[in-house]
Amino acid sequence: MQSTSFLTEIGLSHYLVLSALLFVMGVATVLLRRNLIVILMGVELMLNAVNISFIAFSKYNDRVEGQLMVFFVMTIAAAEAAVGLAIAVSIFKRFKEVNIRFFEHLKG
Amino acid sequence: MADVIVFWFLALVTVGSGLAVVLLPNPIYCALCLAMTMVGVSALFVTLGAYFIAGVQLIVYAGAVLVLFTMVLMLFDLKSETNAFSRGVITGAIKVACAGVLSGLIAGAIVMTLGQRSSVVSPLAEKSAIDSTKALGKLLFQENVFAFEALGVLLLVIAVGTVSLARSKGGTHAKH
Repeated sequence: MQSTSFLTEIGLSHYLVLSALLFVMGVATVLLRRNLIVILMGVELMLNAVNISFIAFSKYNDRVEGQLMVFFVMTIAAAEAAVGLAIAVSIFKRFKEVNIRFFEHLKG
Repeated sequence: MADVIVFWFLALVTVGSGLAVVLLPNPIYCALCLAMTMVGVSALFVTLGAYFIAGVQLIVYAGAVLVLFTMVLMLFDLKSETNAFSRGVITGAIKVACAGVLSGLIAGAIVMTLGQRSSVVSPLAEKSAIDSTKALGKLLFQENVFAFEALGVLLLVIAVGTVSLARSKGGTHAKH
């Protein structure tokens, strides 16, 4: 009976686990990929995962503040994507490549 | 019953396309799969009753941000994309293992914590789209209006900064 109630009753924990899975996929993208733009996509994936948990808590605690926070997070994520892509364009103009294995000037 | 099926379908779509973002070597396909993830997340927001946020998610993420990503990808000539993944099998395995341990920790913590406070899990009364959007608008424009204005200033700064950054000639690494 445990397994069927897990499948048929969607609660807060389902959304939170889904959010955790998406967050970890974003982390894996940032860690594993070498293309700067794909790394930025991983950051966006992490921000979206956090948004899901904000909205889920907002629904299950019946408060609107979570949606407000998601609004702010979205705006700042859009700004961050714009700046990151501008940095990518700037890097591409210098190195003709957006693969991070060429950016080793900061290596000690 | 319908909402259960919708949730599992959306979970499948978001997790599948999220995995595709990690695994596909071609960045264009990554961007398209990320767009699919954003659409799935937006539909999840609808199932959670956040209708306005779902619309904003579609417009801002699936519309603006992903188009920006795809345009920048098209701008670069990435046909010769090699080494999409970081080198080293051992470090790669360690990274994947760390990601797996992190997801297991988070999921375990969530399930164990929510088992103790079961009152949170019970769904609350449905609100109409107009009511929830009205409440969000009141909160945004009455109680948090200064934060909203600060966001406007931030966006102005970001617009100017992005243009100047994309026009810069290499900064400290400029060729003389």
